[in-house]
Amino acid sequence: MTDVQPIQGQPAPKPQTQDQSSAPLIELRDVHKSFGSIEVLKGVSMSVRDGGVVCIIGPSGSGKSTILRCINGLITIDRGTVRVGSFAVETLKKDKELVPLRHEVAMVFQQYNLFPHRTVLQNLTMAPVQVLGEKPAVVRERALALLAKVRLTGKENAYPGELSGGQQQRVAIARALAMQPRVILFDEVTAALDPEMVSEVLNVIRDLAREGMTCVLVTHEMRFAQEVADEIFFTDKGVIVEHGPPGRLFKCPNDPRLKAFLDKVL
Amino acid sequence: MNAHVKIFLVGVLGVTLVLVALFVAVYGADSGAILRGVAGRTPLLLSGSADFSAFEGGFAANIVISLWAMALAAVAGTALGVGMISQSAVIRGPSVLVMNVLRNSPWLVVLYAMLYLLPFEVRIFGRFVEISPMIKATIGLALPVTANIAEVFRGGVGSVPTGQWESARALGYRRLQILRRVVVPQAIPIMTPNLMTTYAMLFIGSSLVVVTGTHDVLSVARTVIASDGDHVATAVYLYILYLFFLFCFPIAILTRWLEQRVRVRK
Repeated sequence: MTDVQPIQGQPAPKPQTQDQSSAPLIELRDVHKSFGSIEVLKGVSMSVRDGGVVCIIGPSGSGKSTILRCINGLITIDRGTVRVGSFAVETLKKDKELVPLRHEVAMVFQQYNLFPHRTVLQNLTMAPVQVLGEKPAVVRERALALLAKVRLTGKENAYPGELSGGQQQRVAIARALAMQPRVILFDEVTAALDPEMVSEVLNVIRDLAREGMTCVLVTHEMRFAQEVADEIFFTDKGVIVEHGPPGRLFKCPNDPRLKAFLDKVL
Repeated sequence: MNAHVKIFLVGVLGVTLVLVALFVAVYGADSGAILRGVAGRTPLLLSGSADFSAFEGGFAANIVISLWAMALAAVAGTALGVGMISQSAVIRGPSVLVMNVLRNSPWLVVLYAMLYLLPFEVRIFGRFVEISPMIKATIGLALPVTANIAEVFRGGVGSVPTGQWESARALGYRRLQILRRVVVPQAIPIMTPNLMTTYAMLFIGSSLVVVTGTHDVLSVARTVIASDGDHVATAVYLYILYLFFLFCFPIAILTRWLEQRVRVRK
């Protein structure tokens, strides 16, 4: 883990450089979380630099999705610290305090979770207008551009139920982007898709990663993780067992648990 | 809708025939004369005035009371329903308690209670405003229905997948915003059939308001029987039964039709 930097008062401007020495954008330290009597996270520490693409892999039930939900404050943690930019996430308790964080950190879900009673375009524009208070005309322009980016021009007035799974997931990514976040969390976004739709969603994520968007992905697509990630975290039973660049991690894993896992999934 | 139209026509025809048969069985050779006599009382039974010149009560009063009671209960029931799903136990506990007390109160008892609990008049801004029996009846009917609507609300909100809450929270929406913008709009199609059933129940229950001294259709019926003689009583009550049926049966059919549509859309 990189050394700790003091928390800055202002979120750092998006650096164009790949400077590894700057303070990480996301930093988790010794995060513990229990649901009832089940301890899901047992001291997780990890950091993600600005513009970094990080994949979290590991067997199901190892706490991968819980880590993501700690980063954007969807669940409160029992112990430890979560820092995103200038936010100390574990100190944000009220919904109102979390709004600026939600602006910075967007999330895409396995089940898309689009709003079925709103059109595709409205799904993109709702939150920026209703939560962030932006001008509808401005948001609309941005939303149309984002739909073009995820190759869904022409579907503005369709309802989510009329789209395929892959299309819905691309709308969900565009909806996340419409918030103009610094980080996007992807929670097994291809797991619910039919195989032929996986690549269209991965292509969109690959584009984002190349453009320098900070991405944290929980995924079972090992080949994709190997391709896009600059760091892989392997979790098992609530701890991060091993982490490192994909080249090393996949070729010569140190931990026997990671070896066993890779033997199963590769 | 075709199958529903058929059920509707068969139902109307069947119930009409049964009531006519009952009528003829009771009155035999006098049927014609009695029917003409009761039919002559139609304006009185429907509007409370002898020639429709004014709406002073009768069946119209039942409709007006039921609509006002429903409107009141809709507002109060929604508020109570929001309270029942509150995250704060301080709000949730009392809300659930109030709902249970109201739901388990016999309607007639609540109506009598209103009669004695509510004052004859209240002072608002220095002016005395009379609380008429009709107002007491409306409040008395609205109270138990409030509990029903709160339950319908809770059920409707609960039927919306939790992923909708999660994705709305990730976009920065706060709890009440999520209810208003995301969850309730999706719950309304699910709640509508239940609300209509509740209304039909409330309408049938409006016959109880006679105990508050309101000039509803039953109170008018008593007057008619007192002036025309006891021998018309059966005819008058059969007539009122028929009025209630004609009002509520279409609601029931419409409810079934909506229910089926909601199910198909799912």
